[in-house]
Amino acid sequence: MNLMAIIIINVLISFLFGSILLGFHRKIMARIQLRPGPPIIQYFLHSLKFFFKETAFPKTASMPFYLSIVCILCGIWIAAIIIGPVLKGSLLLLFAIYAVYKIVEHNAGSSSGSPYGKMSCVRAVFSASSELPLFAVIAIIYLQVGSMNISDIINYQSIHGPLILKLPLVAIVLFVLILSKSPYSPFGITKGKDIISGYETEHFGLMRGYIMLSDSISWYMLSWMFLTIFFGNLSVLSYVVGMLVIAFLTGLINATTPILNPNHSVMSQISMALIGLLGSLLLMFFVF
Amino acid sequence: MRDLVKYGYTTLTISTLLISYCLIFNPESWIVYSIAIVFIPLFILSLGLITMATPEKDEEEDRINEPFIGY
Repeated sequence: MNLMAIIIINVLISFLFGSILLGFHRKIMARIQLRPGPPIIQYFLHSLKFFFKETAFPKTASMPFYLSIVCILCGIWIAAIIIGPVLKGSLLLLFAIYAVYKIVEHNAGSSSGSPYGKMSCVRAVFSASSELPLFAVIAIIYLQVGSMNISDIINYQSIHGPLILKLPLVAIVLFVLILSKSPYSPFGITKGKDIISGYETEHFGLMRGYIMLSDSISWYMLSWMFLTIFFGNLSVLSYVVGMLVIAFLTGLINATTPILNPNHSVMSQISMALIGLLGSLLLMFFVF
Repeated sequence: MRDLVKYGYTTLTISTLLISYCLIFNPESWIVYSIAIVFIPLFILSLGLITMATPEKDEEEDRINEPFIGY
């Protein structure tokens, strides 16, 4: 099949299914808080609706950077789709994409000139210092499998069984990373309600819709990455069930946990990364 | 604001042409990846620039260069 067609189909699936998953996540949070909540399809409808809204540009926005940063945000997640589901390439490249994503979050905050955006921009640097160590536990996967390539990881699991049984602590640490990317996360300091919507505060109308579209793609991508790394080559139905379970668990945690302040968020994430890293090494050398 | 819509049409044309080129002629992989990463986001942005609502003529001055509100 044509390569561009494969990429476009994957991007469409990730947007459609990612937005449904985020809608499901919101529904779970609402039900736990004894609210009916919006329909599951609401996130998807909102993403489209904003494309038709009137958009104003703040006086202090640095154009065209203010506009192009949302484009870059979408571009990096499309790159992740190419490396992940399309090519089944290197985890190291996905790590690099996540690092660039934190830089984009930082720049989106500073591009509008809003004080809330600037606060979020500073917090994006804080969160990078904790989320990147969380992602760095993929080094343990390299020690276990001997390769960073997703296709090799899948092959390894088809012979030796799912990695989640061998590296449970690494799975927990990567789950915390996904949790910190979920909406209303206890670790979501860049979008904390104390700074309105963080870096998205002054991105409304068209640009809000565009950011929501990129968020849907990133949510799908991170869920796909988690399931593929720890469960191997799954069927389409297993991916759907797995992604729904991840959305359910993150929704459950987010609905019952307050947003931590930046210090607590960073310190708890770094602690989890350290425990995951050292604990996995101990498990590898003394148990398995 | 009107300029942005004009840029939207230009970007939409360029990105549609390049994406169609990859779909029809199937060039080398690295060209497809580059076009996908740069021009699919631009295609979506240009669609947004075209479809977004624009203010009425007499309201235009109030809407553009909106100062911050709410703090």
